[in-house]
Amino acid sequence: MKQFGLFLGKEWREQARSFKLVWVPLVFIFFGALEPLTYHFLPQILESVGNMPEGSEFTLPEMTGADVYASLTGQYQTVGLLVLVLAFMGSLSGERKSGTGTLLYVRPISYAAYYMSKWTAAVLLAAASLWLGYGMAATYIVQLYDDMPGFSDLILFLLVMAVWIIFVVTLTLTASAALPTGGAAGAALGILFIGMMIDGLVGTYWTWSPWKLQSYGLAYLMGGPDTGDLAGALAVTSVLIAVLVMCGILMARRNAAKARV
Amino acid sequence: MNAVLEVSALTKQYDGFRAVDGLTFSLAEQTATALIGPNGSGKTTTLSMLAGLLRQSSGTIRFSGSGKDPRSAIGFLPQYPKFFPWMTAIEYMELAAGLSGLGGREVRTACEKTLGFVGLGEAGKKRIGGFSGGMKQRLGLAQAIIHRPALLLLDEPVSALDPAGRREVMEMLKELGESSTILYSTHILNDAEEMTDQLLFLRNGKLIEQGPLREVREKYGDSGYRVLFRDPEAAERFAGAAPWAGSADGSAVMISGEEVSMQELLRYASEHPEGITDIGRSSVRLEEIFMKVVEKP
Repeated sequence: MKQFGLFLGKEWREQARSFKLVWVPLVFIFFGALEPLTYHFLPQILESVGNMPEGSEFTLPEMTGADVYASLTGQYQTVGLLVLVLAFMGSLSGERKSGTGTLLYVRPISYAAYYMSKWTAAVLLAAASLWLGYGMAATYIVQLYDDMPGFSDLILFLLVMAVWIIFVVTLTLTASAALPTGGAAGAALGILFIGMMIDGLVGTYWTWSPWKLQSYGLAYLMGGPDTGDLAGALAVTSVLIAVLVMCGILMARRNAAKARV
Repeated sequence: MNAVLEVSALTKQYDGFRAVDGLTFSLAEQTATALIGPNGSGKTTTLSMLAGLLRQSSGTIRFSGSGKDPRSAIGFLPQYPKFFPWMTAIEYMELAAGLSGLGGREVRTACEKTLGFVGLGEAGKKRIGGFSGGMKQRLGLAQAIIHRPALLLLDEPVSALDPAGRREVMEMLKELGESSTILYSTHILNDAEEMTDQLLFLRNGKLIEQGPLREVREKYGDSGYRVLFRDPEAAERFAGAAPWAGSADGSAVMISGEEVSMQELLRYASEHPEGITDIGRSSVRLEEIFMKVVEKP
């Protein structure tokens, strides 16, 4: 526990001094502000830059707050995931490659404390960034849109999305424990996006999958999900997270020998 | 003296390549041992295994004392220590101290004291990213000794330092040698000559020579006495003695025990009290021994 505290302190300092603590939330906040504004002012934007033929007219669908959240979630599923993977892909592999890990590994450290401190710092930053992004979106949705999802539904949605983000971060950190930085990024992004593709193509055949979480979360904003399916998906995701954490700790220990001396 | 470390048949095998091949040696308490060998001879691999960074392919490493994690009794300094550049020296030392098992109020005091010892007392609050190579080497030494380890493993501890810095660090190591056992690799043989109880010569991963410096000298070198005569003719009396290279007039000679008996020399000295102006023990330099050892079949 003492080592966990020491390592966590080091992680926070690193996040603060590398400005990760600033730029990661900023990306999410930026998209959180952009999405509701873009949809609200889309007719005016098209009119001013659209070069539409004289007399042409088309009708845009009426967007609700839930629709904006769905669109924003789509952004976070691409740009957001990319940002998180890039931010954390070198967490362990970078310390091995640079040699900064060497002087840690020669001490009687607990690799569980080492990995979990990185995991805790990364999960908190990622979840906070995500929530800040959705929070920023909420401030505009409240003012610009008529139909705002209920507060309790919004909280449940944010919690489900947090579980998905924890899965993403855990996958990235474990990839970083197992592989060099480039390989870790490739593996994490590959698994995430290939999983999404597979889920999009043949996802109707199963209901319990981490890749279903975002749609189940969004369902809270649009009438309520099938709670049985949601519970199953959450359970499967939690088990996968636990397995990934254990693998990450083992790989961090095993690969310590690859640290540059 | 008790052995702090006993290594037996230590081997590290990579795919098709044996980096370290069956090393067997032991380190006695509070002794300094130099690990010497050409580049690629297995020095860093050996130190990495002893530090617990690399797992040996076979052989045993046994530390004396407690059965707890031996890493808590080891301080390790790599050849090029790498630090988190965004940390200050004192922050890094506190992390190192905490991870080495120190706790409570003693941490801050120990960190400041150790930084002062290595000459970084004024730089404690500066970010490591702005440190020079020499400062990083000193910080590397500081983090290795923060927990007062029983065994210090140092990989080329002074190679990155200028002569003045090297001298200072060697003095520090001598001081540390009074309470710790030191095993260090070096290319700077003058330093090894100065602070070594035992030599370990590595070549192609094998230990090809080991022993106390004096014994190795006797085995490979022609030790003797450097005698400076006032009268060059007197020097010639000691037949077989080669003129000392450093003497312009040939009045200084190198006398080995085989060529002239000490008694004869002492007799000359008693008969001619002013005849000998200087006499001293002269021994073959480690660099010459190194060349002989690494070139031996």
